[in-house]
Amino acid sequence: MTSLASSLAVPLFALTGWPLTTVLAILGAAGGATLLLYLLKLRRRRIHVPFVGLWEQVLAEKQTTRLFSQLKRWLSFLLALSIVAAMAISLGDPRSEALDEDARTLVVLVDASASMQATDTLPSRFDAAKEHAEALIEGLGPADRLLIAQLDARSAPLSPLSSETRILARALDSLRVTDGEADLRSGLRLALDVLRGKTRPEIVLISDGGFETETGLQALSERIEEAGVRLSYVPIGQRAANVGITAFSVRRYPLDKSQSEVLVELYNPQDRAEDVELELLGDGNAVDVQTLTIPGGERVRRFFRNISGVDQTLEARLRRADQTQDDLPVDDHAFARLPSRRRTRVCVVSEGNLYLQAALLLDEYLDVREFQPSDWPVRDDECEVFIFDGYTPAGTPNAPSLYLNPDENGPLEIIGEIEGPYFDHVRRQHPIFQWMALRDVNMSTANEVRLAQGDRAIARSSDGPLIVTGTREGKRFVATTFNPQTSDLPLRVAWPLFLLNTIDWFVQEEGDYLSSFAVGETWRVPVAPELESVEVLDPSGESREVPVVDGRAVYAGDQTGFYEIRHEGETIDRFAVNLGTVLESEIMPAERLAISETVQAEAPTRGQAGVRKELWLYLILLALAVLVIEWWTFHRRVTV
Amino acid sequence: MPSWLSKSSTKKKAVIDKDGDLFDEEFQRRLEYLAIVSKRVVSGRMRAERRSKKTGAGIEFADYREYAPGDDFRYIDWNVYQRSGRLLLRLFEEEEDLSVYIIVDASRSMGMGEPAKLRYAKQVAAALSYVALANLDRVSVLSFGEKMEGRLAPTRGKNRVFKVFEFLRGVEATGTTDLQTSLKTFAAQNKRKGVAILISDLYDPKGFEDGINQLRYARFETTVLHISDPRDLEPELNGDVRLVDRETGAHRDVTITPRLLAKYKRAHEEYQARIQGFCRDKQVGYFPMRTDIAFDDAILNVLRKGGVVR
Repeated sequence: MTSLASSLAVPLFALTGWPLTTVLAILGAAGGATLLLYLLKLRRRRIHVPFVGLWEQVLAEKQTTRLFSQLKRWLSFLLALSIVAAMAISLGDPRSEALDEDARTLVVLVDASASMQATDTLPSRFDAAKEHAEALIEGLGPADRLLIAQLDARSAPLSPLSSETRILARALDSLRVTDGEADLRSGLRLALDVLRGKTRPEIVLISDGGFETETGLQALSERIEEAGVRLSYVPIGQRAANVGITAFSVRRYPLDKSQSEVLVELYNPQDRAEDVELELLGDGNAVDVQTLTIPGGERVRRFFRNISGVDQTLEARLRRADQTQDDLPVDDHAFARLPSRRRTRVCVVSEGNLYLQAALLLDEYLDVREFQPSDWPVRDDECEVFIFDGYTPAGTPNAPSLYLNPDENGPLEIIGEIEGPYFDHVRRQHPIFQWMALRDVNMSTANEVRLAQGDRAIARSSDGPLIVTGTREGKRFVATTFNPQTSDLPLRVAWPLFLLNTIDWFVQEEGDYLSSFAVGETWRVPVAPELESVEVLDPSGESREVPVVDGRAVYAGDQTGFYEIRHEGETIDRFAVNLGTVLESEIMPAERLAISETVQAEAPTRGQAGVRKELWLYLILLALAVLVIEWWTFHRRVTV
Repeated sequence: MPSWLSKSSTKKKAVIDKDGDLFDEEFQRRLEYLAIVSKRVVSGRMRAERRSKKTGAGIEFADYREYAPGDDFRYIDWNVYQRSGRLLLRLFEEEEDLSVYIIVDASRSMGMGEPAKLRYAKQVAAALSYVALANLDRVSVLSFGEKMEGRLAPTRGKNRVFKVFEFLRGVEATGTTDLQTSLKTFAAQNKRKGVAILISDLYDPKGFEDGINQLRYARFETTVLHISDPRDLEPELNGDVRLVDRETGAHRDVTITPRLLAKYKRAHEEYQARIQGFCRDKQVGYFPMRTDIAFDDAILNVLRKGGVVR
């Protein structure tokens, strides 16, 4: 069997499908299984007869033909082995080497990036690309083989290397345009891997040429040259009449979270100015409409301030001032999701502090309860945050706590006093210090404290910590080692920000909230950390189970719009996804493509006319024929 | 008495046993006109409708014999005495009953077939019993396998047919076939000669001849009703099978081919021909009965044409 396979592999035929070792392994396994089945004693059906004596009489004559029966059994075994061999070899897709020398091996990369949705070529650039791919399939020579791959953010083959029109047409049908960008590097790497060792290798790129070609392509260019791979390019697209939204972001005001601020960036890649109308929608209702003129080749940023009455979603829609649509609709619509708000119960234990009370009144989503120190321990299980002002309880409260100048009962050990400290070092990246400036705050004194293991001084003077974070018995705390009332901090904007940021940090309201994710990136959407997986419903209505890692659902989609996160059939959150790159808005088709100075894409080659000769088909027919003979001889009792 | 035996019942009712209908009232009426034929004149004990060699109080004159003291004076032929002076006694042929033994093979092989050969045999036995009882014959029904298994004591009178049915109802296909041993026992147990009707498929590994000979040697007027199922002759088999003897459990692995089936058919036909030839040579009545032929047809046509009943 080995010699048969090697004779197939070396002088006359080459296995172009599965590798020889795999074919031999399958052949060995299947042949062994066949042998085993033949060695196994046949379990016969038990049939009761009234009188076996009569059969004995008949069968006595058959004893003489036993040797002949054995021979027939071996013949049957050999037929079965020949069927197995024919099928195993057909998996290797053996081809005549003489034919293969002229055979082309093509990898067709069909650009499925967002820019291919442009409608300058009707019905769309993507449909035009598919038509070109179809033409390439129809023009295949007798021994040519072709693989269809989708070129997007994560390029993937959609068919095996095949000359079967049906298989390739099915792959074409499964092509789907995305809202992301195309990663040319991954596409070329995939193609080079497929074409390694193949005859007349050729990469055919069907695209509008909107690639980022400046970085990382030099090495690939060298690989293409070394492998002798021909790079062909089929340009798609006619013009570049497009204006797009390239950035869209929203945030709540830190001190008034009922209002938001929206940033919209528009880009006009054309060489002429364009008048456009920008419409802003909040929770599905029109919030604002502006008409703008965007100069050619420029980006324009617009802020929509003090947007109120919007609680969940924001959308931006762009159209020409004359109400017509440009060539690429996908970048004319952007989405954003506002961070959700919930009411937080804050329990303040204080003898009375107007600065504190006033600052906490700024956030209408805070449910502030005030208690006197004599009320401690407070019997309110719903307290989510404690603020201790001028009073330090013994023991650890059952919720995160902010201590303003705690005494010895507090979480920090006091070892001395610091005179006239300043904020010399502040960890500005810490969420508590967002949008704050502390550098020139004046304080009279502060306690010198010793930090326990795990405590962090997020603001300190040169003499010791001034603001400390840490954990006691599983509860977070923030402590100021100075008394804010003996400083000018309460007179500054930083005071309410410090308080509100601290409360937000305690209840996990994130300052680094993303109002939208970008196509082409891996999204990590915050969800309840106890969940192991959630269901994500994309804008087209398809749902998918995605894992939750460290409290974040990890997913990467290829459509813009609003996605829903569901758990046990209920929607628990939504998030927005926009186009991730400016490049997709630049839809000017490239006439030529050069990935380096030395590698220039050419026009695709043409296949030679001829008759397709695929041996695997004949091998399968042979196996089928032998199977029919075997079946016939078995049922005619020739081989049994 | 069950209603099916009541003469007043005009409703057409089936005679039932646990296997289903044995035969219906219509067939029962037709059986009334039949009688089991005995080619020989046999001796019986009861006065009945059969002439016997025994002379006695019959109607038909048979012979004279010398008077001996103690003879009944009423039978002295006084006319002969007047003419010859000799006291001769008139002898008459006494009409006696015929003993009919119906011997049913109840071996496991009889349990095969569609319908089962044993059921068919029971129907035939029931019908023949009814015919015999209707003619005031003494009927005894017996079943055997490897030995005599069951026996219904000789009985007379049509109204005793119920007992026959009861007996047949209890007969089940068990054990192997041993014709010789069983029929030897039968011959030893039943000294009174008569008609012996053997209902069997005759599948005996030791051969059928010795068994039938036992009946012949004991001077029974023997009739063999050879029951066969069409599948015995043409089994519906194919492929690789293990043939297992229903009675002995002996098995044989065989691959069934059309040629082998044809050979088997020939062998079976030869086997039947051998039985038929043996019976013909030994003057034993032989009637092949296939279970695919309705048993009432078999009784009314086959057996009547063959002279078992008239």
